[in-house]
Amino acid sequence: MRDFQTIDNIIRSRRMLKGDPSSRAYRETEAEGGCGVTGFACSVPVRGKHIFEPSKQMHNRGNGRGGGIAAMGLDSNMLGVSQEVLEEDYILQIAVLEEGVIGDLERRFIEPWFKVDLSGRIGRVEDYRDINGLDIRPPDVWRYFVRVKPEVLKDFVEKKGLHGLSHREAEDEFVYQNSFRINKTYYDAFGKQQAFVLSHGRNFFILKIVGYAEQVVQYYKLEDFKAHIWIAHQRYPTKGKAWHPAGAHPFVGLNEALVHNGDFANYYSVTEYLAQRNIYPLFLTDTEVSVLLFDLYCRTYGYPMEYVIEALAPTMERDFDQLPEEKQRIYRAIQATHIHGSPDGPWFFIIARNDAENKRFQLIGITDTSMLRPQVFALHDGQVRVGLICSEKQAIDATLKSLSEEDPRVGSVADLYWNARGGSHTDGGAFVFNLEESEEGGRDERQLVCMDKFGREIRVPEGQVPYLPDPIYYEMGDEPEDRFQISRFFELQEAEPLFDFVKEGIGRWDYTDLMKCLRQIKAWALKGDAHFEMALELLTLMMDRRYPTYDKKRRSVLQMVNRTLEAMFRHVPTLDTEGVRGGYRLIDWETRGLLRGPVNEEKALIIDASLFPPEGEECDSRLMAEAFFKGWRRFIVFGLKGQRFHGCGFGPDTGGVQIDLYGSSGDYAGSGIDGLSLYIHGNGQDQLGQIMKSGKMVIYGDTGQTFMYGAKGGEVYVLGNAAGRPLINAVGRPKVVINGTCLDYLAESFMAGDPLNGGGFVVLNGLHVDHDGNIRPQATPYPGSNLFSLASGGAIYVRDPFHNVDDQQLNGGEIVPLDEKDWGLILPFLRENERLFGISIEEHLLKVEGEARSPLQVYIKVRPKQNDTAGRDGLQEWGE
Amino acid sequence: MSKDNSFNWPEAVRTPSRFRNPIGKYRLNRTTDCIACGKCVEICPYGVHVIRRGQVFVKNHYLCVGPDCPNPCYEACPVQALSIKENPDFVAMGDYRWTPDLLISTWYMAEFGEVPSAGLQYRTGNSGGGFDRMRLVFRPGSSIAEEAEDDEVDISLQLNRRKDNAHDIRIQVPFYGGGMSYGSVSITTMLSRIRAAAALGTFCCTGEGGYPDELKPYDDHVITQVATGLFGVREETIQRVRIVEFKYAQGAKPGLGGHLLGDKVTPGVARMREAVVGYPLFSPFPFHSVYSVEDHKKHVDWIKSINPKALVSVKVSTPTDVDMVAVGSYYAGAHIIHLDGSYGGTGAAPDIAKKNIAMPIEYAVPKVHRFLQEEGMRDKMTVIASGGIRTPHDVAKIIALGADGVCTGTADLVALECVRCSNCESGRGCARGIATTDPELVKLIELDWGTQRIINLFLAWRKELVRILKKLGMGSLEELVGRTDCLAHLDYMMKGAA
Repeated sequence: MRDFQTIDNIIRSRRMLKGDPSSRAYRETEAEGGCGVTGFACSVPVRGKHIFEPSKQMHNRGNGRGGGIAAMGLDSNMLGVSQEVLEEDYILQIAVLEEGVIGDLERRFIEPWFKVDLSGRIGRVEDYRDINGLDIRPPDVWRYFVRVKPEVLKDFVEKKGLHGLSHREAEDEFVYQNSFRINKTYYDAFGKQQAFVLSHGRNFFILKIVGYAEQVVQYYKLEDFKAHIWIAHQRYPTKGKAWHPAGAHPFVGLNEALVHNGDFANYYSVTEYLAQRNIYPLFLTDTEVSVLLFDLYCRTYGYPMEYVIEALAPTMERDFDQLPEEKQRIYRAIQATHIHGSPDGPWFFIIARNDAENKRFQLIGITDTSMLRPQVFALHDGQVRVGLICSEKQAIDATLKSLSEEDPRVGSVADLYWNARGGSHTDGGAFVFNLEESEEGGRDERQLVCMDKFGREIRVPEGQVPYLPDPIYYEMGDEPEDRFQISRFFELQEAEPLFDFVKEGIGRWDYTDLMKCLRQIKAWALKGDAHFEMALELLTLMMDRRYPTYDKKRRSVLQMVNRTLEAMFRHVPTLDTEGVRGGYRLIDWETRGLLRGPVNEEKALIIDASLFPPEGEECDSRLMAEAFFKGWRRFIVFGLKGQRFHGCGFGPDTGGVQIDLYGSSGDYAGSGIDGLSLYIHGNGQDQLGQIMKSGKMVIYGDTGQTFMYGAKGGEVYVLGNAAGRPLINAVGRPKVVINGTCLDYLAESFMAGDPLNGGGFVVLNGLHVDHDGNIRPQATPYPGSNLFSLASGGAIYVRDPFHNVDDQQLNGGEIVPLDEKDWGLILPFLRENERLFGISIEEHLLKVEGEARSPLQVYIKVRPKQNDTAGRDGLQEWGE
Repeated sequence: MSKDNSFNWPEAVRTPSRFRNPIGKYRLNRTTDCIACGKCVEICPYGVHVIRRGQVFVKNHYLCVGPDCPNPCYEACPVQALSIKENPDFVAMGDYRWTPDLLISTWYMAEFGEVPSAGLQYRTGNSGGGFDRMRLVFRPGSSIAEEAEDDEVDISLQLNRRKDNAHDIRIQVPFYGGGMSYGSVSITTMLSRIRAAAALGTFCCTGEGGYPDELKPYDDHVITQVATGLFGVREETIQRVRIVEFKYAQGAKPGLGGHLLGDKVTPGVARMREAVVGYPLFSPFPFHSVYSVEDHKKHVDWIKSINPKALVSVKVSTPTDVDMVAVGSYYAGAHIIHLDGSYGGTGAAPDIAKKNIAMPIEYAVPKVHRFLQEEGMRDKMTVIASGGIRTPHDVAKIIALGADGVCTGTADLVALECVRCSNCESGRGCARGIATTDPELVKLIELDWGTQRIINLFLAWRKELVRILKKLGMGSLEELVGRTDCLAHLDYMMKGAA
């Protein structure tokens, strides 16, 4: 952190930048909704085309009215400069909106101050109309590699009294102030717009257009351009006039580029806060303000990353109390100083930062304290390490898929996926992927390490190797062909023993063996419906369950299992195939027109979703609903890339219908179902099971925001965690078992009657299933500050043998001991839970530190406070 | 013009007050000097006096038009036995927005299906702003002949202007019933509104309190609401209807969500919403799953995936950036943007919210109208205004400001003889049996009576609208949209004069 005098001097030095006081610029913001944001950091440089797939996945999060990308950690050869120049020079990129202005700009703002090592207009497609869907010509961009002339810098330091800064810091500041002047001269949000600075940091640049983010890559010919970090943004602005590349993300601070999803409620007060520090936004969006804040904390105050994050997303309520005393003292001071600058409302930042001083690049994701925007983090480990941050999981999977197609060292599944808990004492709601210079390996190769806000490293299990495609594995000549004696299992028609056999085999086999075994299973599956069903059951178990993978990476095993499954499904005859019998039929994008009702013994429709759009009239969930009305009752969907609304539109009374989803299922799955059963093999996304009326939903993983909002009933099992706001405003009789925990606001305004008389409840087990399948309690079954707030009915049963949940987390609820009746109520659901997930009542739930306990000691019950609220006295006469 | 000529308008059937002594503006006093000559009975054009068994008495005070009377009985009385004064009940009723004049003229329309002929100011209230300071300007020589058939003036309204795969719906009158939930009002009130809507070829919204089975026969005229509490929202209810309304906020209380006090959560209401009897029900603000416009799009896509043919209406209040909200809704695939201004709200909305938060509707509508025009999507979006639309004149004014149609709410309740006592939320609710779920109080209204009252009211509105259009020389209501030149604002006229 800097001393006060230096901070003051920096702020004073910016006085000259003050805007025209009559200017409306910093008083009005451009209305902007949320957007799609994505970013990834890779230990080796990768091509720009990989930002394509996630960007396309997020089209529905933008309207093509603004897209942008930033690339960091570049390749000097591709830019035509030496490595030294790349690392030491500032890359000043200027977007020219009015022809001919660049000469004047160079004369006034570049030549006098900078030593220019290389300059020129960057390459682009000759005619922008060649790019499908791009209807506004993107700006021409000029790029300069520059250093501030020594005498200019000396003079600057003298005049501004910046002796407290290092040489480099002073140079940073000069560049920053110079760019502000360029923008001030050539860009007025309400007036003439001739040119503006896109970026000016070291070893990274930003490009943005009016269009979709992937069109940036196309237009500026970056498909094959390599960088360590890419971030992209799809924008969905709602105001017309300001549709303009300058308003698109990412925005630049100095050495950081930021994309943002959300909008602040306190834009005005933040601009006031910045104005007090002589910082004046010019582009009227809260994203610009965000990066200015970030830059202020980093560069002016010199805070370490933890404090920067705290200043942006303060730790609140109970989480604050849970912090160590020393941290509380510091955080209190930070909050007291910066709370007025803290963005209020929904926001989520992805930041690419060049921390040149420490010779590392950083990809940072920060979520707001209330967790109002969706966000997913992922870590892919192996010879190539990738850290990913996106607003939706499917964007992560799309990135990995794209990367894996080019480089087999990258798998299509990440090792870890997780959500951040905003402003929390557990992870701080922020994660940083550091790309450090590596000791070994080539110049291009960097070390990728992921840390949370508090500097705790996120690790994957050690000592496991990922699968690499075939040629590397050699078959031993002496291995008997029949060493996978799986025929007996198929003859017996029992999947469980085969599952045990394969599980155990994974320990002994290498990847080739496993692959061979899976091939055999596939071969069996094609022999007839009964075998198909058994293979399906087995492979599904292998995806759903957690078990030790020994020297293999779980993600690699999953990837292989998934590939086998998909191959199996694709072998199923399509609807127009004649002369084949069997209960299963396949439909995909090409054959969707052939949809008809089931005939003969046909019983299940397998939908290959891979080419279907995520929503709208052509989407696969609409097709599925149509198929339902044509008589199909059993559905298997695979190849999902975030397609939405599965199970929606079937209407009431759909008992007996079963849907299985494989792959990256999307938002709103199961929202509105009434009777049918939905199995999600993998993580669920946001808004699942909203207004669910009855039926069953099983999620073999985590689930996202506002899970079961306004639900009326149904039986639901979740293996992992639910993100924020599960079961808000749920009524009626939903019965839910969540084996993990929830981020916060579980069952706010829950109104589900009396659980002992047919009402609803949630069982929260607070467990974590680790990579080896061990089931362990989490540090606390419920970390949030709000549990069952304002609830009037229902109950939460929490597995809490150490009484970690306390009254402070409640607002209108009370904790009471469990009684026999309660246990009798939840027991059947825990049995089903055991059957589904293998979480044993005796072994896992009722054992505390190795000792068997009574359920009455292990569980607590949270119910609405039984006081006489206003009006209750007159109730008797209602009777019923 | 795709006017539906086959539509059969319902008949106006006289439907008097359900109380023995309807409240009127004037009160006639008869002294014992009366000689029962019958003169007053004979000359009164309104049927105020009756003679029975040799005695004359005032039967219908409420029909007396006071000094507007061409032949006042109290002057003609040979023995000066009659005197007139303002009814003290009348003075005590209502408020500046819903003046006693407006209340009584609405009751009159609900009884007769005609605007009152005299004695009452039925066009404007007395709020000192908004519609009450605006006047329609009729230029001489522009009018269509008074004698033209009412049917020749088209006041119907196309709701699906996107011309996409959703239903093609045209309503016969440029208004439909705004959302009032089962729970906030009684089932009889709800049914009366919906049956009237069906008879008039328009729609009525359920509000967010579920979709009672009693409504099923009128599915084609129901708009179901998906609001922030998601009470009673099921796939089935979304699939049943042709229009789905997203309620993001109410103009009367933006940012406050919804709140049904414990007392109104009777067993019936609790069953419908599957909640707990006697406990207050909260609709949060906002949708927990929608914090941005792209979330909103996803939300709309969801509803379309459940009911692909549904028209989507987005009801929002009027913040300062309401124009951008409208454009965002267009991009998200909405057909109707419903702007709910701040003048509306029953007694359940807190005064402090009604009077201080949202932008007045007469500012919001032109703002949105212009902005949609600039963005080139005005002709693809239907703009509905609501919040304090009390009279057909309000309807004409807001349409001249740029709306396509309106939503009604309080006016329907006034037709059922609401007196605007503003106690809708307290205790078990309404002393007049309208905004209540108390099984006893509900019996105060009979369904057929309620239905006919509302039909009558809107038939009167229709006639008046047609009359206004004729005077403006317009053959259809569409011509009036955005014609601010047909309006004058008294405040600015006076400034100009000074």
